[in-house]
Amino acid sequence: MPQQLSPKERSLFSTVVRSYEDKQYKKGIKAAEQILRKNPKHGDTLAMKALILNSQGKTDEAFALAKVALQCDMKSHVCWHVYGLLYRAVKNFEEAIKAYKFALRLEPDSVQIQRDLALLQIQMRDYQGYLTSRKAMLAARSTFRQNWTALAVAHHLSGDLAEAEQVLTTYEETLKQPPPRNDLENSEAVMYKNSLIAEQGDIQKALDHLESAGKHNLDRLAVLELRAEYLAKLGRNEEAVKAYRALLDRNSEHKAYYDGLVEVMDISSTDLEARKAIYDEYAERFPRCDAARRLPLDFLEGNAFREVADKYIHRMLDKGVPSTFANLKHLYADSSKKEILPAVVQQYIDSKKSEMSDEPKRNGDTSKGNSSAFYFLAQHYNYYLSRDLDKAMEFIEKAIELEPESVDFHMTKARIWKHYGNTQKASEAMEQARELDVRDRHINTKAAKYQLRNNESEKALKTLGMFTRAETVGGPLADLHDMQCMWFMTEDGESYARKGNFGLALKRFTSIFNIFDVWQEDQFDFHSFSLRKGQIRAYIDMIRWEDSLRDHPFYSRAALSAIDVYIKLHDKPLTNGANGSAETEDDAAERKKAAKKAKKEAQKAEREAAAKKSDPNKPQKETEADLKKKDDDPEGLKLAATTEPMTDAMKFLAPLLQFSPKSIDAQIAGFEVLIRRKKYILALRCLLAAASIDAEHPKVHEHIVRFKQAIDTDAESINSTSAEIIKSEFTLIPASKSLAEYNDEYLSSHKSSANSILSALRVRKLLDPASSPDKDVEGVLALPELTLETAMSALELLKTWKSPEVESFQSSAAAKWPKANLFQRSA
Amino acid sequence: MDIRLLRPSDIPHVQHANITNLPENYFMKYYLYHALSWPQLSYVAVDVSRPKKTPYDYPRIVGYVLAKMEEDPPDGVQHGHITSLSVMRTHRRLGIAEKLMRQSQRAMVETFGAQYVSLHVRVSNNAALRLYRDTLGFVNEKVESKYYADGEDAYSMKLDLGYIRELIMDEEDGETEDLDEGEPVGSAGAKGDETGKSEVNGEKMRKVRVGRGLGVGELVERNESQKA
Repeated sequence: MPQQLSPKERSLFSTVVRSYEDKQYKKGIKAAEQILRKNPKHGDTLAMKALILNSQGKTDEAFALAKVALQCDMKSHVCWHVYGLLYRAVKNFEEAIKAYKFALRLEPDSVQIQRDLALLQIQMRDYQGYLTSRKAMLAARSTFRQNWTALAVAHHLSGDLAEAEQVLTTYEETLKQPPPRNDLENSEAVMYKNSLIAEQGDIQKALDHLESAGKHNLDRLAVLELRAEYLAKLGRNEEAVKAYRALLDRNSEHKAYYDGLVEVMDISSTDLEARKAIYDEYAERFPRCDAARRLPLDFLEGNAFREVADKYIHRMLDKGVPSTFANLKHLYADSSKKEILPAVVQQYIDSKKSEMSDEPKRNGDTSKGNSSAFYFLAQHYNYYLSRDLDKAMEFIEKAIELEPESVDFHMTKARIWKHYGNTQKASEAMEQARELDVRDRHINTKAAKYQLRNNESEKALKTLGMFTRAETVGGPLADLHDMQCMWFMTEDGESYARKGNFGLALKRFTSIFNIFDVWQEDQFDFHSFSLRKGQIRAYIDMIRWEDSLRDHPFYSRAALSAIDVYIKLHDKPLTNGANGSAETEDDAAERKKAAKKAKKEAQKAEREAAAKKSDPNKPQKETEADLKKKDDDPEGLKLAATTEPMTDAMKFLAPLLQFSPKSIDAQIAGFEVLIRRKKYILALRCLLAAASIDAEHPKVHEHIVRFKQAIDTDAESINSTSAEIIKSEFTLIPASKSLAEYNDEYLSSHKSSANSILSALRVRKLLDPASSPDKDVEGVLALPELTLETAMSALELLKTWKSPEVESFQSSAAAKWPKANLFQRSA
Repeated sequence: MDIRLLRPSDIPHVQHANITNLPENYFMKYYLYHALSWPQLSYVAVDVSRPKKTPYDYPRIVGYVLAKMEEDPPDGVQHGHITSLSVMRTHRRLGIAEKLMRQSQRAMVETFGAQYVSLHVRVSNNAALRLYRDTLGFVNEKVESKYYADGEDAYSMKLDLGYIRELIMDEEDGETEDLDEGEPVGSAGAKGDETGKSEVNGEKMRKVRVGRGLGVGELVERNESQKA
């Protein structure tokens, strides 16, 4: 039973509660202690004290005290509520839900506990629990529209669309008078209901509802879009045409509207002329419209294509639009269009030339078009489907000659150097571009990125520091973290990974992992906020997005890179911190250098931070924030010193496999980790998934052999059930063949793919460590299709074998790519 | 480039475009705050023709406008505000910024009854000034001294959206004969009662609104302090 207090202490207790709410923690603690002096076992007071301690950052103490409070008074809802709040504060939502449920059982009428519980349930996607909570909340206050909407949301998310719709209808029927037209909450509720009707598939009903209840809706665009969509689905083409035209009148830059219009206009798929006429109409009506002029290029062919391309390119080059190539490069998937586009540009240049000789005085006007044309061709020859880097360089130099100050041109020059495989020159060229416009952050960003690609971490941070907020404690790095700058953390991490500084590499990838956690937690406040704002469709959209948040490429890329580092740590454990042991002297020296540098940087940052802290002009508040921010492993040394890299890798791998199962890279990484952990069934699952995505993938081949070898060598440790499963599922390799034969067959049937050859050779070495396929690795250099990246991995392979051919490979590769710096022996 | 409404799933790439292009940056939650408070106002320019590299590709954002309604406007007049607008350097001179702005401005009037839209721009940003003043018709209200973190001043600019209101009225006149919006037609007295009731309801709501203004509310303040 809740313990009784004397009247004086009861008033002290309300002081405690009020102090907590007003964030007057010291006062609150003092009052609590005063009560406890007389009633040392008063559960509610102990609990409140724990809550205050937690707000002061003393989490451990708070938990300990909250437990004592519960021991003193198991029947107090306050104690359980506080226990739940503490768990919620450390993001352990499951335990928090349990505690709230206890609290609610003891105090079923508490609005606050019920609401807090509901928020946690929806955050955890406990739809049934949320539904129960929402029903209770509606029963408690049924005059409140939000409670009805929330119940509808609960039904909707738990999959019961009809019930969700019914709840909204029931509320509407309680209204004696239709709400005024400018009632935003009502307006949105109508549209939400409409989306529920449509989602159930009754399009006619959805249209009727839209045309009656939604007639004067405040979300005009949504009404117009949905109406067009419904009419089209119902086959009411004539009206649909009008509807799509109304949309194009609003926004003629949205492809989906043109697609919708063409669809309902009953134009035969072969009648390209008629199709084009639609676009022409809008091009004429909207002189500044781009889409109407560009989109026909997607479906036109041959001469018709050339004609339109010519017009489009003229217009863009005359205006000097830098994105002309970017707007067209998707057409390069079509080989004839890939030929026509540069020819049109060349013609443009030639015609300008003759114009110029006709009117020599007017050359001022044409130079812009000319430089744009050269710029286009430089990009054309720099593009991977039409690459000829020497030509690209030639054209970009011509363009630069006409406009030496153009940032864009220099930027492309840097990109050409990048494709040459010369990160040094690329970085220099980008820096040159940056200096042409030091106030533009876009070019600043690019310059920093290229510095990172060239492994110049320190320089990059300095570059970025020109735009980060100067007053952020911890400098540019801290600001980039605060602002969740994903690209930087990814590139910086990858740069450290290349340099062998695995500590800082893992540090950055872990930062990205943590930001995704933050992004997931960010939705929490919106569970209540959105109901207040009434924007339910946007809220549902957010819920759906958050549900698959980690399928984002920002996550996958960082996760794959982190896993790669962990695999390297597993295969070649570091002896102390970021310093290596079982590697070539070069690498070791490089790593030592990197570790030393990192340490120095960290010390410097610490000194700077300390200096800032002692600045008397700084408000005291900031030091509190500093304390909170203090990182006990700024260089990631602890991360890299892990004794269980494969267990740590699982943290990154699990979301990857859950949210990106169709990514072959995810499945490949999964196999690499799981086979090392000897989780054969799970490894097999990854292997089978990868094989179903691309059975011919070089890594799939490699993994098949490695899997077979692993289960053969490790046969004794595999239990009989697993062995049975493996036997029935693992049929990728015929039992009759030896692994060596199987490998040779693969090699002979994939002779033109360098990556396949490398995989087969890696397998050969694995099956017979005494063999020396080193020369064959070097052989890939003769393949015409060989890319720089593959050549780099061939070199890596030789290095892991400690092959005597490393040097000769390097010099042959350097000869093949004379402009690259990637094959130069590190000085 | 495709111009369309911003969706929550666009936010990581919008954030990327923002931090690539501009010195004023925000964390994800602040974008969510916009997208979930005024989902009709923020627009993106997207490269839709870009071939997919993985089954999990998100559309690449080459430009965006992040917009809001002023909450509790000091002058009591409903108006919109442009929080952030940028276009990737590689996609400039296509008129993307202007097109994004026009879509947003229209929605401000249609959905939220905005009378005008305001924004801040660096006094040195000539390209942006040309867009706002010459192309879109903004007027300079005043200079806000040291508005930006690096000490630069801002022009505080305004655009009256009356022309959009008129445009919408013209369109509605043209499209429909049925202009009955459920406003009092019959006995004024009876109507008055009803309005009275609904206001009581509204007051109740407001009470709760104050009580739980957590989290996101803090965000707004934090952002203001960032600018200051």
